[in-house]
Amino acid sequence: MKRFIYGLLLFAFLAMPPIVSFLESHMLLHMHVQMPLLAFAGMLWTPFLQAKFPRFFSRWNEDGVPGIVLVSLVVTYWILPRAMDEAIQFSSVEVFKFISWPFFVGVAMKDSWKKLKGRQRLFSTLYFSFIYGVMGFVYIFAGEQLCNNYLIVEQRLLGWSFLAISLGAAFYRLRNEALKKRDAAAGRKTKFGS
Amino acid sequence: MAALLHLRDKQISLIILVCFGFFLFFYGTDGFTAFTAEKARTNKLLEEKPRLPEVTLEDSMGRKYGFEAISDKYIFMTFFYTGCTTVCPQLERNVAKVYEQIPENHLGEDIVFLSVSFDPKKDVPEVLKRYGSHFGSDEETWRLARVPKEGELKQLLDEFGVIAIPIGDGDFQHNVAFYLVDRKGFLIDVMDYNDIGGAVERVMEVLDRTKEG
Repeated sequence: MKRFIYGLLLFAFLAMPPIVSFLESHMLLHMHVQMPLLAFAGMLWTPFLQAKFPRFFSRWNEDGVPGIVLVSLVVTYWILPRAMDEAIQFSSVEVFKFISWPFFVGVAMKDSWKKLKGRQRLFSTLYFSFIYGVMGFVYIFAGEQLCNNYLIVEQRLLGWSFLAISLGAAFYRLRNEALKKRDAAAGRKTKFGS
Repeated sequence: MAALLHLRDKQISLIILVCFGFFLFFYGTDGFTAFTAEKARTNKLLEEKPRLPEVTLEDSMGRKYGFEAISDKYIFMTFFYTGCTTVCPQLERNVAKVYEQIPENHLGEDIVFLSVSFDPKKDVPEVLKRYGSHFGSDEETWRLARVPKEGELKQLLDEFGVIAIPIGDGDFQHNVAFYLVDRKGFLIDVMDYNDIGGAVERVMEVLDRTKEG
């Protein structure tokens, strides 16, 4: 319950007009601070929602695959240059941002991740790394202004941050998998040895 | 049909999600045609084909006239301000490159180049004159002008979807493109200002077509 309230407070904070305009004044803050924080608020709500609607989650997101597919779709939509512009320009898109990030990314991610098998997690991470990497190259080398509301300098900065996140996430996940494999192999050996 | 009964719930939710994703991207990109807001704006403009509104221009020679004075010709238009240090010089350099490639017999006869400033306070005729001379404007076949009346300027910018937001220090955040207006004053094309070859080709295409017609 405590976490749920923290989530609500975070969401209310992010929805305050001065905070909204500040976080949207820079591309980097918009993409890599505001949107992930909205998702984080959703993650904080998840245990409460899972307790409230246990059947919903176990029924429709039995193995975590539908959830992670939803996360992938919504994140892929939001990294399009147009989505960020329209969130600033049209209030309907802005409202969609404040719904889709907490629920379709935050809650769905939190509910799915633990249910996924190791290989599915690896695949998901590599997918996000891949699209972030592609967007990194697009934003760095576009040469023209992709978002009407942001300058090219900011666009390049965002591109590099996309690349950094992409490489970081891929490295972390691959290393984790390798460690797990090594531990499993070591575990088997001791078992057989004894 | 029987197979439908055997679908598991998680499979149903996947199907729903795929449909949701399709609609999200379909509506979000106007049917997969516009992935940037600028492209969406251009597509919409080309669909609407707005007409030049009635405004009074004041050019670098201090002459005042409306669009009707030049609108029996095609107009190759851009929007800029002289205080701009980033993209506008590049835009006008690119206009110069297009201008140089149009055969002389067409210039002033069939087509007029017009660069419109959206900073009428600073861009008075003398400033426009100096600015234009840097880029090789002859003030006749390539004119630089301002729209002195605030309301008229706003109307023109709105019609052509030009966003110019003052960001302090006399600078503007704005979008950039080549605009092509036909002899009746209707906008017929919005072009990438970096694609000089493409712009020349498009202009020659409409000029050749009118010659035949």
